[in-house]
Amino acid sequence: MASRKTARRLVISFALAGIALALLAAPAGASILGPTAGHSPNADDIRTAYWVAIVIAALLIVAVHAFLIVALLRFRARRGRSPHVFTAGARAFVRPAAPLVAVAVGLFVFGIVMMTRARDVQATGSEGLGADSNLVAQVNGLSIPPTSKPLNINVIGQRWLWRFEYPGGRPGDRVFSYGQLVVPVDTAVLLHLTSTDVTHRWFIPALGGQVDALPGQDVGTWFRADEVGTYHGQSMSFSGSGFAAMRAWVRVVTPEEYQQFIADKREQLTAAQDYVQKKLNETAPPAVGP
Amino acid sequence: MTPPTAVGTTRPEAVTESVPRRRQGWIERATSTDHKSVGVLYIGAALVFGVAALTALVVMRVQLIVPENTTMDPEIFNRILSSFAVTGVVLFAIPLALGLISYISPLQVGARGVAFPRLNLFSFWLYVAGGFTIYGSFLWRPSEAGFGALPPLSEPLYANTNGVDAWIVGAALAILGFVCFAVNMIVTLRNMRAPGMAWRRVPPFTWAANLGSYLLVICGPVMLAALVMLFIDRQFGGVFFDPGYDGAPLLYEHLAWFFFTGAFTFLVVFAAGVISDVLPPFSRKPLFSQRAVAACMLAIAILGPLAWMRNMYTAPIPTAFLVFAMMCAIALTVPIGLLIFNWIATLWGGILQARAAPLYAIGAISAMTIGLAGDLAWSLIPVGWQMEHTTAAQGSTIAVIVGASVLGGFAALHYWLPKITGRLMGDGLGKVALVAILLGLYVFELMSFLAGVKGQPVDVYKFFGGEGLDGYNLAASIAVFVMAVGILLELGNAAYSYGRGVVTGHDPWAGSTLEWYATSPPPIHNFDVVPDVRSAEPLHDIRRAIRGRTEAWRPPTGRPGTERSTPETRTVGG
Repeated sequence: MASRKTARRLVISFALAGIALALLAAPAGASILGPTAGHSPNADDIRTAYWVAIVIAALLIVAVHAFLIVALLRFRARRGRSPHVFTAGARAFVRPAAPLVAVAVGLFVFGIVMMTRARDVQATGSEGLGADSNLVAQVNGLSIPPTSKPLNINVIGQRWLWRFEYPGGRPGDRVFSYGQLVVPVDTAVLLHLTSTDVTHRWFIPALGGQVDALPGQDVGTWFRADEVGTYHGQSMSFSGSGFAAMRAWVRVVTPEEYQQFIADKREQLTAAQDYVQKKLNETAPPAVGP
Repeated sequence: MTPPTAVGTTRPEAVTESVPRRRQGWIERATSTDHKSVGVLYIGAALVFGVAALTALVVMRVQLIVPENTTMDPEIFNRILSSFAVTGVVLFAIPLALGLISYISPLQVGARGVAFPRLNLFSFWLYVAGGFTIYGSFLWRPSEAGFGALPPLSEPLYANTNGVDAWIVGAALAILGFVCFAVNMIVTLRNMRAPGMAWRRVPPFTWAANLGSYLLVICGPVMLAALVMLFIDRQFGGVFFDPGYDGAPLLYEHLAWFFFTGAFTFLVVFAAGVISDVLPPFSRKPLFSQRAVAACMLAIAILGPLAWMRNMYTAPIPTAFLVFAMMCAIALTVPIGLLIFNWIATLWGGILQARAAPLYAIGAISAMTIGLAGDLAWSLIPVGWQMEHTTAAQGSTIAVIVGASVLGGFAALHYWLPKITGRLMGDGLGKVALVAILLGLYVFELMSFLAGVKGQPVDVYKFFGGEGLDGYNLAASIAVFVMAVGILLELGNAAYSYGRGVVTGHDPWAGSTLEWYATSPPPIHNFDVVPDVRSAEPLHDIRRAIRGRTEAWRPPTGRPGTERSTPETRTVGG
C-alpha cells in the first residue's frame, strides 16, 4: 500500500510544517491573532481561555482540511479504478468519538474554571488607592470577598455616550464625568452598569469582557488596572444611528492623581452650582400677583 | 358523464370526472398545489431574495471599505442592516431549503403527493407576502431597529415610524408560512412513505427535512409569540418589553435568540442532509454509516436550539443557565465531528468524479468546519465575553450560513436540477463560481476574525482609523465583492440551465434514492408504480434486479465506475 504510506507522510509533513510555521510565527502572530494585551487579572484570564480555545479550534480545522485534501487528491476517478467499498461496523465510531468527547469535556471544564476565575474580584494592590469605606453590594455573578475593598463606580449608558459617577457625595450630588472614566491604578474597581434608554454593552478589551447595560437593572463587572495609561473601548450593542461613535476611554492614573481629579471635579461642580444659583437669583421672576 | 368504471376500483388515482380546462402558464404556476411546483416557486423566490441580501451585504461593505466613510448616512446604513439579517436567513436561506425539501422529499420517500397540498401552497404565499411587507416598507421608511428589532430599541419611544411594524408583520407572515410548511411536511413524511420505506431507510436529505420541519414547528411559534408581543407593545399600549413599566427586554432577546439559533441549526441540518445525499453517488460508494449520520443530525437538532443562551453571555442571566448553554454548545462538537468523519470516510477509498455538485458539497464541509470551529471557541463563556458581538463572531456565523445555504444549496441545485428540469447545470461555470465564492469567503472570514479580535463591533456604520483596522476592512470588502461575483455567476448559471441547459437522461448520476425512479421532470403524480423498498438504496436494488433479467445491461453513461455490479462491501470497525 504505497499510496496509503504517501498519504500518511503527506498528512504528517503538513502537520509538521504547520506546527513549525506556528512556532516561528508565534511572537509575531500573538500580536495579530490575539486580542490587545490585557491589563487586568480578569482580562488575563480571558486571554488564557482565548488562546486555548483558538488553538483547539485551529487544530480541528487543520485536521479536517488535511483529510479533505488527501481524500480529494487520492480518491479521484481514474481509468481502471474501482471503488474500495466499505461501510461502518458496529464499533466504527468509538475511535473518532473518543478524542472528540475528550476535547468537549476538557473545554467545558476549562471554560467553567476560567469563567469563575475571571469573576473573582481581587483585592486592591499595594500601589492602589487605600481602603474605600463603601459597602459592597452583592453583585450578580461576581464573587466579591469582603477584603477586596473595591472602588464602586456607577456607569450609566445613554445614547450615545457613557456617564460615570464616582463614590463620595450625596446621591444626586456625586462627582461625574462623561466619555472618559478616571480610575486609580492597582485598585479593584467595581462597575455598576445601567442604562437610561436602550441596551448598551460595556467593553474595554484591555480591562475585561463585555457586559450588558440594561435599563432598570444593576449589572456588575470589575477590573484592576495594572499600569498607568489610557485604554479604549466601544459599546458593543446596536443602539441606533450614533452607535458607531459610542466609544469609551478609561484613563488609569496614580491614586494621588485620582484624588486630585476628584477634588478638581468637585470644585468645578460646586462652582457651577454656585454660578447657576447666582444666575437664578439675579433673574428671579417678579412675584406673581394681581 | 359516465360513472367511474372498473379502472377506478383497482387504480383509484386514475379516477377523474373530466379533464381540467387548460389555464395560462403563470396562473397554473401560482395556483398549482403540486408539491413540485410549490418547491420551484420557493426556490425561485428564495434566490431572488438571496440577491437582495447579497446586495445589502455588498452595499454595507462599500460603506465600511475605508475608515470614517461618509458615503452613507447612518440612518440609511441602519435600514439596510435591519433588513439584511431577516432577508438572509428568513427570506433566503430557510425558503431555499424548504423549496428543495418540498420538491425532493416526497419523491425520496415514494409519495405521490403531500398530505396538505393547499397548506403547502398557502405557506409559500404567506412567505412571499412577508417578504413584500418588509420590502414594501422601503417605499416610505423601513425599520432602523437592527438585525432582530430587539427592544427597547424597537419600542415606539425609540422607533416611532411604521417601518418596525412592517418588519414585525413581514417576519411573522414568513415564519407563519414556515410553520404551515413544516406541519404539512411532518404529516407527509409520517404517513405517506412507500411500502418498506422504514425510517432507517429514509435518505439523509429527507431525514434532515423531517428534523428541520420539527425545528421550525418548535422554534417558529416562539418567534411568532415574541413578534406578537412586540406588536402589542407598539400598537396597543402593551408593556411586555418596556423597562419603564417593569417589562422585560431580556425576554424578547431570549425568544428571538431561540428562534435564530433554531434557524441556524435548521440550516446546518439541511446542509448535512444535502452533503450526505450528494457525496455517495459521486464517489461510487454508499454512505459510511447512514444510521450514524441520522443519529448525529438528530443530536445536532436537539442540542442546537438548546444552546440559544450562548449568544447572551454578556446579559445578566444566572450562571447555571449560562453553563447549561455552554454545555450544549460544546457538546455539539461530538455529533458535528462524527458527521464530518462520516463524510471523509465516505470519500475515502471512493472514486470521486470531480463534478460541480460534490465539489460544492466539499466546499460546504470546509466552510462550515471553519465557522463551527470558530463558534466552538467563542462558546467558552470567557472567550464569548471577548469575542461575541465582534466581527469575528459575525464572520464565523456568516461562514456557516453561506457554507450551509449557498454552497450546500448550490450543491443541491447541481445535483437535483436535472431532476427538476431534465437539464444539467453548467459544470465548468459552476466550478469557476465555486472558486470565487470560496476564495471570497475564506478571506472575508479571516479578515473579520482579525478585526474582531481587536474589538471591532458588528452593526457599526463606520469604524475609526488609526486603530489598525483599515487593512482588515478593506480586504474584507474586496473579499465580499469577489464572493458576490461568484454567487451571481452561479445564479446566472442556474437561471440559464433552468431553460436551456444540456438535456440529460432521467437519472444522470446513477443515484441510489427513490427520486431518480421517477422521470425527470416527474409527472404530476410522481410515480406510475410505487416500488417496494427493500433497503436504503432502493434504486440499486432495482438496477440489480433488472441486470439479473437482462444480461445486456450497461451503465447509464460511460463514465468510469458506474458499473457497481459486484460491490464487495466490507465493514470496518466491527
